[in-house]
Amino acid sequence: MAQYKLNVNGTTKTVEAPADMPLLWALRDLMGLTGTKYGCGISACGACTVLLDNKETRSCQVTVSEVGNKKVTTIEGLSKDGSHPLQKAWVEHDVPQCGYCQSGQIMAAAALLAEKKNPTDADIDEVFNEHVCRCGTYQRIREAIHLAAKGGE
Amino acid sequence: MVAYDLSRRSVLRLIGAGGASLIVGCVPLPVKAGKADEQKPLEPNAFVKIDPNGDVTVTISKSDMGQGVRTTFAMIVAEELDADWTKVKVENAKADKVYGGQGTGGSSSTRTMYTKLRKAGATARAMLVAAAAQKWGVEASSCTTSLGKVMHPSGKSATYGELTGAAATLALPTDVPLKSKADFKILGKATGRVDNHDVVTGQAVYGQDVKVPNAVTAVVARTPAFGATLKSFDDSAARKVPGVLDVIKLGSGVAVVGENTWAAISGREALKVDWDLGPNGALDSAELEKRMVAAVGEHQSMPSGAKVVEATFDFPFLAHCTMEPMNATADVRDGTCTVWAPTQAPDGAQGSVARMLGIPAENVVVHTTLLGGGFGRRFSSEFVAEAVEISKAMKRPARVLWTREDDMRHDQYRPMSHHSLKGAVDGSGAPVGWSHQIIWPRSTRAIGGYGNARIPYNINGSGMAEGGADSPIPTGAWRSVEHTQLIPANECFIDELAVAAGKDPYEFRKQFVNDDRLKRVLMAAAEKGDWGKSLPKGWGRGIACFSGYGSCVAHVAEVEVKGDEIKVHRVVAVVDPGMALNPKGVEAQIMGACCDALSTTLKVKVTIEKGGVVEGSFPDYDWLRMGETPKIEIHIMESGETPGGMGEVGYPSVPAAVANAVHAATGKRARRFPIRISELV
Ligand code: FES
Ligand code: FES
Repeated sequence: MAQYKLNVNGTTKTVEAPADMPLLWALRDLMGLTGTKYGCGISACGACTVLLDNKETRSCQVTVSEVGNKKVTTIEGLSKDGSHPLQKAWVEHDVPQCGYCQSGQIMAAAALLAEKKNPTDADIDEVFNEHVCRCGTYQRIREAIHLAAKGGE
Repeated sequence: MVAYDLSRRSVLRLIGAGGASLIVGCVPLPVKAGKADEQKPLEPNAFVKIDPNGDVTVTISKSDMGQGVRTTFAMIVAEELDADWTKVKVENAKADKVYGGQGTGGSSSTRTMYTKLRKAGATARAMLVAAAAQKWGVEASSCTTSLGKVMHPSGKSATYGELTGAAATLALPTDVPLKSKADFKILGKATGRVDNHDVVTGQAVYGQDVKVPNAVTAVVARTPAFGATLKSFDDSAARKVPGVLDVIKLGSGVAVVGENTWAAISGREALKVDWDLGPNGALDSAELEKRMVAAVGEHQSMPSGAKVVEATFDFPFLAHCTMEPMNATADVRDGTCTVWAPTQAPDGAQGSVARMLGIPAENVVVHTTLLGGGFGRRFSSEFVAEAVEISKAMKRPARVLWTREDDMRHDQYRPMSHHSLKGAVDGSGAPVGWSHQIIWPRSTRAIGGYGNARIPYNINGSGMAEGGADSPIPTGAWRSVEHTQLIPANECFIDELAVAAGKDPYEFRKQFVNDDRLKRVLMAAAEKGDWGKSLPKGWGRGIACFSGYGSCVAHVAEVEVKGDEIKVHRVVAVVDPGMALNPKGVEAQIMGACCDALSTTLKVKVTIEKGGVVEGSFPDYDWLRMGETPKIEIHIMESGETPGGMGEVGYPSVPAAVANAVHAATGKRARRFPIRISELV
């Protein structure tokens, strides 16, 4: 067990954990940030996606000891009130069904838009083919990303 | 701030801004004694409450697993109440007889609750109107309501919030009138989910997200084969893992209990368990299939002189693979138990926990969280039982988490099945014989189809018979239950009869279909789906239809077959939901069911080897992805004022439409699902 100082959603949090604890469980169990979800634990579903220095990262694959000074952004840190363009687009298109995969989908979309302002369908496929939605909301996810890319108009 | 102990009576749920309930431990708000009547909420029944500040809370007695029942139920109550939709919040019901059956499945929630909830809203509205009329000294019938207000032609008006206290003193009216559909303002309008805000901000509370102070987390080492038993285990290494608190033998395996999830998972990795594989240690899928094929009996005879067609179809076991794996939290203490669980059967869980602990059901409180998918999986309560067992042993609140692999290898599977069909067409091209034998694993309940082929076509003497084969694999309900197999088999076979009769598969269906609603959607699907129009070489179009759960649907699929690959380019669905209470919700269900069906038609299956399940997670149970999802076009065609079920109707005709399209593209038939080009005949 050791102490780790993590920069999460703009604040520094100190957690005590074994070095091999995945960031996913540190966020959920030690920091109470349960918006980030467990779906597989082996990098196969994307439910646990967060941003590490604005890059799409599967929090089940990074340990607390590997995070270092990198800035962690979770769904809770995207905006407090749901005002981020992606969150608004998701609501506008009524994307969620069960909703369980959606924080991961939204975080992946945030990373994509940070890199490509106007992603094509092929760009979207490339990222989202790695994200499972068991409820089959893919069509609305695609529409919501396009809407957010257009600035919500 | 004062810290409070979490005791049963003090568990309240707070309602988040977006409406999802957040379960927290805190003390009840003090009741202000001696306050005036106006401070009283109006709570005329178990389903609706109106607060003096005008907030309307609708209590949802069914589980929301993504089908949107929290939204639909709130819309129904709000409609009859004439509520201001922006002031409507929802709260999940605890398990309680007062709500009637709470089991959520069979696409029955809206169908069974529609009138009940309308009456609940209309009753509250009538009481608010009566209170206003009394206050103003006018006839209740001269008052109108809109957006949470009662109004009178004289110009007087009052908000519902201002009237709750007075209304609460009135006797419950009987026989309140319900609105006519023409007056609906909320129902029938495309409405976003009440939970959307909480989902997109990460605040929605699923089973795994429940925060109960002092709770431990456990994962369970489970049997490698169905019927295996525990010989012994060595927990010395597991107990040395930081954060591991205990290792306990359970009915279902060995639980490693930790301070947090990672401690429990790491502890389980270090645990050494020796299993006796038991009687099924050598069982595999091929053996099960052999047993099923052997169980096929004699078909009924076909009319003499007719052209006879025969076919078989095989479907595998399927894992539900809900996005949120099974889990539950329980707190057993002092002859009571509180459960927080993503369950489709809160009342069922309550009963089983009560029996398990030998305490009255009233002493078991079950809170239903949001469900990260259900599809029939969360009807059973074995994960709840585990949490209870662990809490009891640890004398602390306990959460059990199934890893993805636990979840996939210990499901209550959609059963595998074998189908043998025999049919006949006469010289005029009419179907004149139909015999369907369906063989289930014996562990699956029979569906009782004797003497009724369950086909929507006029075929004299058509029949279906069921048989069973021995199987130890646990099975359960799956989205659209037996229709996931019956309908694909039937709708592929009717295509084969059409071809044998020298007819177009769509025209053949249209000619012999005996259900008017189905005929309407069939014809619309053919039109919207460009039936009969040309396609590039290697492409094909297939059609299929289904009527059930009070709704009906027809699908046209366009596929391209290239080498070993089947690419579905387009699916057109025409659905008759009776009445579409929330068109956005209807569309989401049809889309979701289509993606489900494409996954199981083209991709996933569960394989049995050495008495256990081979597949463990998404790499080998590779669910449909975005890039594989065709353009899905959905057309809603209402036929009346009665809402039909929506959760399941969208599944059964998709596999058949795709298989029939593959035939149109290749001239070959699919006999096994999921479809592999190499297995076409
Ligand atoms: S939980 Fe990390 S990718 Fe599935
Ligand atoms: S919305 Fe349920 S898994 Fe994506």
